[in-house]
Amino acid sequence: MEVLLGITGKDYCIIAASKAAMRGATILKASDDKTRSLNKNTLMAYSGEAGDTVNFAEYIQANIQLYSMRNASDLSPYEVSSFVRSELAKALRSRNPYNVNLLLGGFDSIKEKPELYWIDYLASSAKVPYAAHGYAQYYCLSLLDKHHHPDIDFEQGMKILRMCTDELKRRLPIDFKGVVVKVIDKDGVRELEYIDDKQILAP
Amino acid sequence: MASISSFAMPSEAPTYSFAAAQSASGQPRQHGFYPYTDNGGSTLGISGDSFTILAGDTRSTSGYNINTRYAPKLFKLGGSGPNHEGSKIVLSVVGFAADGNALQERLDTIVKMYKYQHGKDISVHACAQRLSHILYNKRFFPYYVHAILGGIDEEGKGALYSYDPVGSYEREQCRAAGAAASLIMPFLDNQVNLKNQYDPNSGPGLEKVQRVPKPLDRTTVEEIVRDAFTSAVERHIEVGDGLQMMIITKDGIEEVYTPLKQD
Amino acid sequence: MSSPFAINGGACVAMVGKDCVAIACDLRLGLQALTVSNDFPKIFPFGSSTYLGLTGLATDVATVSELFRFKVNMYRLREERDIGPQTFANLVSSSLYERRFGPWFVSPVVAGINEKTGKPFICGFDSIGCIDFAKDFIVSGTASDQLFGTCEGLWEPDLEPEDLFETISQALLNAVDRDALSGWGAHVYIIEKDKVTKRLLKGRQD
Repeated sequence: MEVLLGITGKDYCIIAASKAAMRGATILKASDDKTRSLNKNTLMAYSGEAGDTVNFAEYIQANIQLYSMRNASDLSPYEVSSFVRSELAKALRSRNPYNVNLLLGGFDSIKEKPELYWIDYLASSAKVPYAAHGYAQYYCLSLLDKHHHPDIDFEQGMKILRMCTDELKRRLPIDFKGVVVKVIDKDGVRELEYIDDKQILAP
Repeated sequence: MASISSFAMPSEAPTYSFAAAQSASGQPRQHGFYPYTDNGGSTLGISGDSFTILAGDTRSTSGYNINTRYAPKLFKLGGSGPNHEGSKIVLSVVGFAADGNALQERLDTIVKMYKYQHGKDISVHACAQRLSHILYNKRFFPYYVHAILGGIDEEGKGALYSYDPVGSYEREQCRAAGAAASLIMPFLDNQVNLKNQYDPNSGPGLEKVQRVPKPLDRTTVEEIVRDAFTSAVERHIEVGDGLQMMIITKDGIEEVYTPLKQD
Repeated sequence: MSSPFAINGGACVAMVGKDCVAIACDLRLGLQALTVSNDFPKIFPFGSSTYLGLTGLATDVATVSELFRFKVNMYRLREERDIGPQTFANLVSSSLYERRFGPWFVSPVVAGINEKTGKPFICGFDSIGCIDFAKDFIVSGTASDQLFGTCEGLWEPDLEPEDLFETISQALLNAVDRDALSGWGAHVYIIEKDKVTKRLLKGRQD
């Protein structure tokens, strides 16, 4: 019941990830952060098998940061997505494939456009305007289909995110303990305070 | 395609035609009874303003073998005598031929009994609903067939009903069933219901309006049926040998047989 | 449904016309029944008039297309010219056969015009590189049965470029409408001797 959500707008990309760390039906932690920032303008959110996720994310993070240090310039979101996909694809046909699903949010400072990549554990990658992973797909993609436009402003984006998290609270049988929300724009990655204490019940 | 994979390829060594004899005595063996086989073939029906055409190929297969090149899948219902005189309804069945024949015999008897008891011919829509009930009555041991029923309705218009194996049915303009249904159906969508065709004079881009399908004349329909089958024969191994067509009008049923490729 | 070829869905078709060829694909990317993206083209250009269509497992579509981008770029550097469709077809075949016992789960289609002879060329492959040379059309993907039906019904020899465009478009659009795993619009390329036209088609959005 891990939730990953991504929404792009006019000049920003919002990534939300559930705060619950679960093992089976048990919640081990209610303040988990399932995201890693890879460089100044890309953020990766991950879900999947317990050990694989953090291991893979930190491996990617280290390599992207190494690139930035060696070359004194950051990879663009597309270039990062290409690297992540190829690493995942390489692992897929090895002895120990990673079981990790990813959302890659970024801001391309040359094109001055936000970008979002949907990548699953098979290393299928697609550039999308909005995305979700896991059960959130079934609940949120229809909402996003209806309300999303490519040029929505930040307030509108947050409003749609609120609709999504409300719907998830309403319909998911297990509490996912709210979401961590991060925004990527021309100024880089920043975490947002996201008030989520309102109880929402199914009708 | 399922029938292909389940069929054993011939091997070099001589073998028995029944599997049980192959295993050594003393070893445990599993017996099974498989009540269904797939006899391949395809059928197709299109209704017009004052007629309905049903068509089916006449090949009967099991696996890669051809049982016969002439096994009709089209049956006239409720006619008298060996030539079914006076019949106005046609049933086509494709799938498991034994079930198809059993179903045809049952419905034929019912249509005849209807006339004996009520002194008039059964209407197509009544016959269609009765067929649905027959199929649903065997909901948990179904007739393994896709049926299509054609006739002329009470207003004199062409009527066509298609069924799934357990009796869910619908009146339609056209329907393909059987092995090559997936090949024929999108072609029919395009040529009969004019799907994905837009009026070229209706403005640019998204303002274009869909062409409205109108009832086709008999020669056009016959042409479409022939094209559909010659195409299916080319690409599907279970379809071929002969094309049997029945054209139902208010005056009765006309039957046409034309050869198809035998390869 | 757990066949790797049918997880993501997709369809591709190529046709021969009079001194021209056409290749078209749908745009859907799905995970089983769920559509994830409606902008996932499956046709990739390799030089001025050689095109490759790839359907099957989306991850392999991406990997294989990038592998051939690399190989074709290396070819261009060595030979100082573009690769021709026949040569490319043999490259595809031998590259796929390298993975004989752990194949890429893709069904490729190649279309192009031979630069030297000016003759149209199309062919298809199975996932381990067996080439299917065809004089008329090649289909691949989850809607291949439907495409066989529509192509066999609509195609005729020696179509002019504009008529070939209409034929391949109608064949693809009507085929993917009868397949739940394909559709959501299409890309169509019409390749002539020294002109390539790419068109984006809007299809049913369901």
